[in-house]
Amino acid sequence: MVDAQPAAPESSGGPPLPKGRRPNPQIAQLKRTLYFLRRNTLALVGIGILLFMIGVAIYSPLFPAPNDQMTLMCGTSGNPLAGSGCLCTYPIGTPPPSPNCIAVDQYFPSLIAPTLTLTSGGPLPLGSITNTPENGYFYNLEAGLVKGAPWSLGISAAVVAAGASIGLLLGATAGYLGGYSDEVIMRFTDIFLAIPGLLLLIVILATLGSAFPGLFGRLGILLFAFIITDWPIYTRIVRGQVLVTREQKYVEAAKASGAKNGRILLRHIVPNSLYPVFVQMSLDVGTIPLSLGVLVFLGFSIFPAQWFPEWGNITAHSVNTTFLEGLFTYCETAPTCVFPWWQIFLPGLTLFAFGLAVNFLSDGLRDALDPRLRR
Amino acid sequence: MKLWIYIVRRLLLLIPVIIGVMTITFVLVSALPTSVHILAILGPTKAPCGYQPTCAPGTIGSACPANGPPCQNPTYVRAINQIGLNQPYIVQWGHYIYNALTLNWGYSDAKSFASVNLFGSQSNPVTSILGWYLPYTLELAALSLMIILLLAIPIGNYSAVYRNRPFDQSARVLSFSGFAFPGFLLAVLVLYAATIFLSGGVHATYCSTQSTAFNQWYGSWPVKECLINSQYPTWIGQHQATSPTGFPTVDAVINALIAPNAAQAQQNWYLAANSIQRMILPALVIAFGSIALILRFVRNSMLEVMNLDFIRTARSKGVPESRVISYHAGRNSLNVTVTVLGLTFAAFIAGFPVIEDVFGLNGIGLLLVYSVQPTQDYGLIFATTLLFTFIVVFANLTVDLLYAALDPRVRLG
Repeated sequence: MVDAQPAAPESSGGPPLPKGRRPNPQIAQLKRTLYFLRRNTLALVGIGILLFMIGVAIYSPLFPAPNDQMTLMCGTSGNPLAGSGCLCTYPIGTPPPSPNCIAVDQYFPSLIAPTLTLTSGGPLPLGSITNTPENGYFYNLEAGLVKGAPWSLGISAAVVAAGASIGLLLGATAGYLGGYSDEVIMRFTDIFLAIPGLLLLIVILATLGSAFPGLFGRLGILLFAFIITDWPIYTRIVRGQVLVTREQKYVEAAKASGAKNGRILLRHIVPNSLYPVFVQMSLDVGTIPLSLGVLVFLGFSIFPAQWFPEWGNITAHSVNTTFLEGLFTYCETAPTCVFPWWQIFLPGLTLFAFGLAVNFLSDGLRDALDPRLRR
Repeated sequence: MKLWIYIVRRLLLLIPVIIGVMTITFVLVSALPTSVHILAILGPTKAPCGYQPTCAPGTIGSACPANGPPCQNPTYVRAINQIGLNQPYIVQWGHYIYNALTLNWGYSDAKSFASVNLFGSQSNPVTSILGWYLPYTLELAALSLMIILLLAIPIGNYSAVYRNRPFDQSARVLSFSGFAFPGFLLAVLVLYAATIFLSGGVHATYCSTQSTAFNQWYGSWPVKECLINSQYPTWIGQHQATSPTGFPTVDAVINALIAPNAAQAQQNWYLAANSIQRMILPALVIAFGSIALILRFVRNSMLEVMNLDFIRTARSKGVPESRVISYHAGRNSLNVTVTVLGLTFAAFIAGFPVIEDVFGLNGIGLLLVYSVQPTQDYGLIFATTLLFTFIVVFANLTVDLLYAALDPRVRLG
């Protein structure tokens, strides 16, 4: 698809290049991509939103946690909300005042306040950061969303990077070697592609989900499940791309000049097959918080704490509690209730903006990298 | 190559894929505790130890046979021997494949959330349960596919014709929104809107006995508590698929056709219409979520077709532009649509559990959602996964055949 020695940029509508020295083709290609990206408004909007979110993620450790206090609830550690209404709050670092206090967020005490009880006083007004007894212990969405940015972005990036690496390795091997190794790898990939992604996630999490309790055990299982679900599509894409690339003249030239298979793969074939992988990666990044949200919505407790700050988790929990408790229970008993729309709007908007941004970016990348769509 | 040879070849190629999928699930199944195996394979009535264990708590699980003191319960040991858990993994794998291929998928757990909420805490063979619930899902899938195609083809074609104009841009943003918007949130919002607009506000009861507009539109097939004026005959109710086909709408139509008198026929026609009416909102939500990719592919393939020579020929010989778009170009970009349908089918079908959960539709997706609730019903989870996989695999085969039928240039093979 992507020509290794690009035609004169002027003829394909690219930016004018400086006269004189012949530029490095890869640098020229990158410049051309950036040029076309810059002309695409939607892609720019997507990049802007993404940069903002990354900024929030970097800033998030500085964000004031609700009161910087450890809010604990009585109850069992498996079901901390069982004893709702009985709360103990005390500063981080001090021992709990009563043995009945069980940490809800035992790993990250100051992440978010894990309390949402609509029946005990109404939803927390927008814009309030503090979470005090006078406010009635409400779930603090702003804090949760800000604190959730590094987790969401990190999990998505890790999954996509790992999945794409596996796919690149297997797909390039299959496409380049051909023959039996191609058959074996691709049949193996087909098996994984045949199972709908969400169902594979569900099956893995249902059987292994509680195998390793604790933060890193659970996150490890989560990442494992997502990587298992994600890699096949990359293998298929890379293999298809390598099949085209390996017939190019420059690969033949490298072969004729005596390059080894490994060098041809790494220096010539893989770099020229990467572009569709980038497009798919940017698409996939956006779906991972959504899938996490779906899993939580379906009832999986995949996170170490119920109110673990992850965007999908927060959205699913907010939708569940707001609609089930808020709409159909709270509002039936309190006829003057104000429907807490922001409890859905804020996390939903965050997820939506993230998905939209990566889609814009992916669409822009596709247009910039595929010469047939550029025109 | 002849068509039937191609079909046979494709079916043969499916065998390794299906066996591979079952091997993956087998690996996960063998990670489960022993009591779950006993329960799911023998069923609660026949499982001597798994269901009402006389072993001390904790010894019945995985810790019991492998390491630690041996469990002295003879019935438990007998059960393990009976279902072959003491045999080598390769033999167990063989049994698993054989059982899966003969549709012997075990029993549902009588105490699981799914059993208690869907069939009154009875244990049923998983295969029969899937047989009751599959038709509902298939009807919903057919309706959503119809909506997707009816929307995606014209919108995609016109996006290509008016490329980079406002129509194209707004269609693009709309389809991205469908991709990026959380499906469960959209479903809940649609349901909320339906409550407000059709039954007079938030304060209305969730499932009232009066026949409000919300009850008509609330996208469920009759649930026991939500029957409209008890008009539904028993055969269309929950998990009672004893009617001719098991498909609620089809059954209603059949019963209307063979009805002895006009009044009964009218009632059955009403049932068929109502059944479709109840599917419309969930089908729209599903369509909104999965239309994005298809729309993009239709647009891009239309863009490529519009640049081909025969379009220029058609224009230059004076064919009206509308006919060029709909007949010359549209027909030729249809092939890509069909291919993309096959590619996105897995994602499409994976959206069902959430939608069926929110709208309370008695389909396979709801079954899956209920069976992953805290008392997990592993028999149902694995069977549902296998079933969804089979559906996806056969949908892909169908799409390939359709592709060949639509494009005579495609050589099968």
